[in-house]
Amino acid sequence: MKFTFRVSPNYRDSISTGRIMRELTIGLLVIYAFALYYYFTSYGTSYGIHALLLMVTSLSVAFATEIAWALFLKKDLSSFLKGSYPWVTAIILTLMVPITMTYYALGIGTLFALLFGKLLFGGFGQNVFNPAAVGRAIILASFAGAAAADITTSATPTTAMEQVGWMITKPELATKFLAQFGGLGNLLVGFYPGSLGETSKILILVVGVVLALRHVLDWKVPAIYIGSVFVFASMIAVIKGMGAWYPIFHLATGGLMFGAFFMATDPVTNPTSASGRVIFALGCAILTVLIRVKANLPEGVLYSILIMNMLTPMIERLTEGWQIKLTKKYTIAFVSLFLVGSLSIGATTFAMSYKAPAEEAKPTVTLGVPVLIFGDDTALNPAEVTSSVAAGDVVTITVSSKGYAVLESEYDENPKPNSLIVKIDTVKKTIVSVAFSEFHDTKNIGDKTNSATYLDQFTGLSITDPTASVDTVTGATFSSVSVARAVRAAIDSVVGK
Amino acid sequence: MPLWIGPMRKHLNGQKELTHHNEIIRIDAGKYVYIPLMNGFSTNIEVLVSEGDHVKVGTLVAKRNDNLIVPMFSSVSGVVTGKQTMMHAILKPIEHLVIENDGKYEFEQSFAPIDYKTASREELVDFMMNAGIVGCGGAGFPSYIKYKNPTGIHTLIINAVECEPYITADFRHIELSMDDLILGTKAMLKMSKAKKALIAIKSNKKELIGKLKTALVSSPEIQVAEVPDVYPMGWERTLVFELTKKRYDRLPSEVGVVCNNATTAIAFAEAMRLGKPLVEKIITISGDGIKNPANVSVPVGVKTSEIVEKLGGYTADEVLVIAGGPMMGKTIPNDSFVVTPYGNAVTILKTQKINDVACLRCGRCNDTCPAGLLPVRINNAEKANDIDSLEKLRSDQCIECGLCSYVCPSKLDVTEGVRRAKRLMQLRAKK
Repeated sequence: MKFTFRVSPNYRDSISTGRIMRELTIGLLVIYAFALYYYFTSYGTSYGIHALLLMVTSLSVAFATEIAWALFLKKDLSSFLKGSYPWVTAIILTLMVPITMTYYALGIGTLFALLFGKLLFGGFGQNVFNPAAVGRAIILASFAGAAAADITTSATPTTAMEQVGWMITKPELATKFLAQFGGLGNLLVGFYPGSLGETSKILILVVGVVLALRHVLDWKVPAIYIGSVFVFASMIAVIKGMGAWYPIFHLATGGLMFGAFFMATDPVTNPTSASGRVIFALGCAILTVLIRVKANLPEGVLYSILIMNMLTPMIERLTEGWQIKLTKKYTIAFVSLFLVGSLSIGATTFAMSYKAPAEEAKPTVTLGVPVLIFGDDTALNPAEVTSSVAAGDVVTITVSSKGYAVLESEYDENPKPNSLIVKIDTVKKTIVSVAFSEFHDTKNIGDKTNSATYLDQFTGLSITDPTASVDTVTGATFSSVSVARAVRAAIDSVVGK
Repeated sequence: MPLWIGPMRKHLNGQKELTHHNEIIRIDAGKYVYIPLMNGFSTNIEVLVSEGDHVKVGTLVAKRNDNLIVPMFSSVSGVVTGKQTMMHAILKPIEHLVIENDGKYEFEQSFAPIDYKTASREELVDFMMNAGIVGCGGAGFPSYIKYKNPTGIHTLIINAVECEPYITADFRHIELSMDDLILGTKAMLKMSKAKKALIAIKSNKKELIGKLKTALVSSPEIQVAEVPDVYPMGWERTLVFELTKKRYDRLPSEVGVVCNNATTAIAFAEAMRLGKPLVEKIITISGDGIKNPANVSVPVGVKTSEIVEKLGGYTADEVLVIAGGPMMGKTIPNDSFVVTPYGNAVTILKTQKINDVACLRCGRCNDTCPAGLLPVRINNAEKANDIDSLEKLRSDQCIECGLCSYVCPSKLDVTEGVRRAKRLMQLRAKK
């Protein structure tokens, strides 16, 4: 018979750090699953696979970093990884980057997140900053161009809002503004491109509430954070005479929901006392609103959390002592901070004004190498005439011409040819005009051919001159030639008559 | 306010079903009983019998004789054989008076019975002192002190909460002795000069509450107060706050309240009716380490090993034997400690390995600490040997309820860290 000795208590709760991390991981993966569904169904397999591989990249780098660290410090590998939870950081970081993120940038971001965000501080439990936030900040600061421009690169709601100065007082402008993202409802549901895991606010809310009920995260942090942003945004709305859509927009865009539920709640980097966490969350809310409406950044969640992480030791000092004797102090601290926040945000509103969105900058078109309309280049991949209507002297011919997207199939999953309308004066034997009726080619590159600079060259050209030529758009030779092919097909159809 | 501070309590899985409805098993003393010569933290006990003296059940054998008076009685009839130093339930070796049991259980009245209705308040307080009534909640604090000079007391709280997991002894005792509970409560009410008494019971004990309410129909001054099934609801401060929404600094009398345990009231009633002190206890022997968990009625001074043997023995080769419940009870590295008048349970658990990981600073300990302390901060300050911070953090206010370790998801011994902190503070205070 052996009588073990152990200090009391000898009774333990079933909840463990391992279980907390497991449930958090499951919650995050649910949000990731939504992102995968969205990109697979809305943008096709290649985007879906990209979203998958981004996660694989981040996870691989995370594990590689931690394994290397454990080997370097000669620690037992499996127990080190089990107590370090590298995958949580990797998943959160991946959910914060847009679909266009390059593997390289995300990999470097993950490496920095774990090495400089966590391991160098002494590992799990010792880090000052949220590691995933560190990684995201590194990517933002060092790889601004890492998000390649493509079809998903329309302005995000927060960037678009930043461009108009975070205020739209005219209701019809507000409606128009929201309409480009499918309205407030779609912003909440999340069927628009943005950071992988940050778009569906409703899903984040559901997962977050479930995790809060399961005591995986403290409900007070997201409740105070999101609630205060709502209050401050409502304040701005009232001062500036904006509708109820405005505070809802604040909640429905950017990383607020995701950050409030999954980053501000990180127990390692927020205060340990309930009062401290409440003050922490309020601080995050004030900074988020201030950065959004006034700083030179579209979104404030990431930096507000990092700044409050930094202030956590100070909040710990402030709330230290015998809690039940300090409720007055806690109340004063909270109320003062709230007033300071209200005043600074209130003052900021005087410096806010609506900025009319600049006209979308047209890409500069420069012309280069000439192409013969009846040359060898246009003989390849001939265009097809789909209809032809004569009205007096002028024949209007619709031509379908295979552009870059069709010929270089890697660009798109379901490529479509461009469609052009060529008008020819059959009496003067000249081209009247060339215009696109449907454009399906590469954005920011191929679309340079859809410009007066290029298309106007055709006007007045003789359809009987075998040496007729136009100068192709530099950098968009492929698309330029496809337009020339369309013109050739149109001329051929007229001359053939 | 729950937003600034956590809930300061927590629902635990009570494991009460193990012993809730079992028969109470009467266990006789073996050849010897050992009366612990200690009360509270005082070992200043005057022994009133000598080796060879014949004693009966109820014979006064010793008395605490310093600033407090606590008489101690023999629980068997037989012959005093001497003194022996043994491990006690507080995990310290102390002297015990050894009495050889003759198995006859001859009884002699230790004192004359008393009728609370006719006796004066002062007579009742003296009676309580001489009957050796101590708090049965675990501390063994002599109860008469609370009633000596009651001023401004409006409520007497009878604590029948029993919030430690596994323990059902109080519950079973109340079920059996409801009349005594009411009798004791009425006498205490008179002694405290309070207007009303509240018997605090966990709201999930519906059946007992129903029975008690029926029994109390003709006693409007005594009410049943249902309290939530959380730990440590039975701690005086938590209970007083729950029932009055007031906090006090040192004693509940500051907010007009006196608290006593329900089994203390029952023991007091038995003493008043029969002239019999507390020489036999109902205690819970439970846990997954004992073959037949049960409530047993056993004379004071019987060794735990004898009780375990009667209940079928241990279920594993390695067990934790805990004097009390698993939260606050001390693990005793043997099973020869004895039943005391103020203990109410022995919990026996199979030894299980606890794997701890790094603190993730989640603050659950801070949120649940019923004393409103910040255990994780105390642990960090203790590691840094920062006694100034420990004082600011009021580590001395910890009652070692164990909740901080219980909730710790990293399975760290948070409570032990606070204990070390308290010792550091005491060391400095001594300098």
